[in-house]
Amino acid sequence: MTFLRDRKVRDILWQGAATVALVALVWFFVGNASENMVKAGIASGFQFLWRDSGIEVPFNLTGYKPSDTILALLWTGVVNTLLVSAVSIAAATIIGFSVGLLRLSRNWLLSTLAGFYIEFVRNIPLLFFVLFWYFGVLAALPTPRESLNLLDIAFLNRRGLSIPTPNDATGLRLALLATIVLFAVQWAIARWAKARQARTGRDFPTWLVGLVVCGVLPVMAFVVAGMLTTWDVPTLRGFNYRGGFVLVPEFVALFAALSTYTAGFIAEVVRGGIQSVRQGQIDAARALGLGQGRIVRLVVIPQAMPVIIPPITSQYLNLIKNSSFGAAIAYPEIVAVFMGSALVSTGQSIEIIAITLAIYLTLSLAVSLFMNWYNARHRLVTR
Amino acid sequence: MIAAWRQRLFATPLDAAITLVCLYVVWRISVPLVHWLLLDATWNGTSRDDCKGAGACWVFVRMRFGQFMYGQYPLAERWRVDLVGALWVLATVVLSWRGLPYRSAVTLATAIVLPPLGIVLLHGGWGTGLAVVETREWGGLMLTLFLTVYAGLIAVPLGILLALGRRSRLPLIRFISVVFIEFWRGVPIITVIFLASLLLPLIVPTGFDVDRLARAVIGLAFVIAAYMAEAVRGGLQALPEGQSEAAQALGLGYWRIQRMIVLPQALRIALPAMTNEFIALFKNTTLVLIVSIFDLLGIAQAALADPAWVGMNMEAYVFAGAIYWFVCFGLSQWSRLREKRLQVAHGR
Repeated sequence: MTFLRDRKVRDILWQGAATVALVALVWFFVGNASENMVKAGIASGFQFLWRDSGIEVPFNLTGYKPSDTILALLWTGVVNTLLVSAVSIAAATIIGFSVGLLRLSRNWLLSTLAGFYIEFVRNIPLLFFVLFWYFGVLAALPTPRESLNLLDIAFLNRRGLSIPTPNDATGLRLALLATIVLFAVQWAIARWAKARQARTGRDFPTWLVGLVVCGVLPVMAFVVAGMLTTWDVPTLRGFNYRGGFVLVPEFVALFAALSTYTAGFIAEVVRGGIQSVRQGQIDAARALGLGQGRIVRLVVIPQAMPVIIPPITSQYLNLIKNSSFGAAIAYPEIVAVFMGSALVSTGQSIEIIAITLAIYLTLSLAVSLFMNWYNARHRLVTR
Repeated sequence: MIAAWRQRLFATPLDAAITLVCLYVVWRISVPLVHWLLLDATWNGTSRDDCKGAGACWVFVRMRFGQFMYGQYPLAERWRVDLVGALWVLATVVLSWRGLPYRSAVTLATAIVLPPLGIVLLHGGWGTGLAVVETREWGGLMLTLFLTVYAGLIAVPLGILLALGRRSRLPLIRFISVVFIEFWRGVPIITVIFLASLLLPLIVPTGFDVDRLARAVIGLAFVIAAYMAEAVRGGLQALPEGQSEAAQALGLGYWRIQRMIVLPQALRIALPAMTNEFIALFKNTTLVLIVSIFDLLGIAQAALADPAWVGMNMEAYVFAGAIYWFVCFGLSQWSRLREKRLQVAHGR
């Protein structure tokens, strides 16, 4: 038995044993599953995707009807997931960065309040917040007749948030296009300025120009486009609001819960990232005679961002995965319409689970690929 | 003292303005809140009609307290839940006593005996002479704790094994661990609970059944094990390579190195991260609501449908939310305190 002492032999034996055990387990499960499915009379295959769904989806942007296929239903779910995720990510980022910076404020009261917020949202389950917003807050809102009037353009009541829609979106599309072009222009300017500084040492006010190009000009484009467009503003007719677009209460509740909850985690990431910049760096910058604004811009932010971005990306991914909590209040996202409604109506559990998991895994994989790429690019170079 | 507070609150005119605005906001929020929670609240009574004040109706929580704690567990059998809880607390206290003789033997014996004993006591039957209480009658805080403890009992050892597997020399073991970890980390927990409740009955031999609650525990455990593995991996990576090399030079085998040298140190480093995963597990047990298992939040949600107590949404949520908050906050504070003490012990 001396050959068992050989490391190579033992490595092969261990791995062989693991493979055999795994294959046997999978074999056992698959065998049971196929036997059970034959007994229950469940057919397998993906043909059901092209059948009519017959399922009503009260909130959709895809123009889906119950007479459409199950594949269209799935697509509606995906769009709804991405919609609530995108809006919540934007809001969570804004709230999270604000709270994280306030946490570092010199003002004791401000920083303590920010700390309260962080400890409050982080220590309570997300599902609690989703249910609380839906059944606690939105259900207590007034009827449409007594809606909360937000500047005469949006109206909040227990049937949701009515917002105006443009009658003709051409102007807004042009403004969006202009914004994208402006960002590209800014990117080119930044590259050129950096190259020139490396070559000649001459400074260029990239940040100031960036503020105008990426901040002021896009806002102006949207304001002008918005003024030129005619809007369909919701108005009260009888017992309900007509016109515009209604964001259903499920959407509003899920959005409120996701954004405020994730903001608590982002705030901690931001605080940690900024605190990770050594005090010596700031002292050195001050010794060079830099002002407070330039210290933040040239020393703190460039060193804090590589620390902040990767965990924030994983918070974004968490938020996308957590949008599945919408299923608890019947917001029609992937899990609710596909793993819920479609599964009940077709009974194709294995196929539906596989498709749903594949969608989420693809999203996760895309995010981690981005993270690896970013980490490789922005690894802090220490000399 | 006063100068220090002045520096903290009124350093500049802007700071002073900010402080005043904050104070005003705090005042506007906390006064109505205190009125609703305490001053105007009704504490005594037996029905909804006793709540005449403008504040919270805590009568509702008092009357339904048993359900919040035990769900539909039969009244006459609730002592069994208390007994199991007491046994767990006792075990924790005894095992955390530093001077315990035969420590590892006692730990091992507890780990083997207590978990099955807890299930037998709660469920009854199986020749014990105790009345059978089906898992569908379990609920409330007791169920939340049950899910957390039992999913954790599976997740921690599995997570440690996966973390070791991910750093293994053997490519195949490494591959299996990575796929397992990344798969469960990549999908939402809600889909895993669905998956467990739909697929587990399908993959066992015909005629067998997996208990509804057991499905939820297994689903939760797999996901948390994957996250736990990443927490442990952090600890393993922080350990200098020299530790296991020195052990190898002494002639110890792989498992003995891990058990005696690597894990005791790595787990200590990983403990804060592992506590965070435990808090996440505690919060995520609420998701069993999706498959109609009524944990603490589920009981609060179900109570809203009671026609005798219409409009008690806020009271139910505040009570359940407060319990979640205190447990999670307590755990994270305990972990921080421990971390600080360890840092002092290491002279850092």
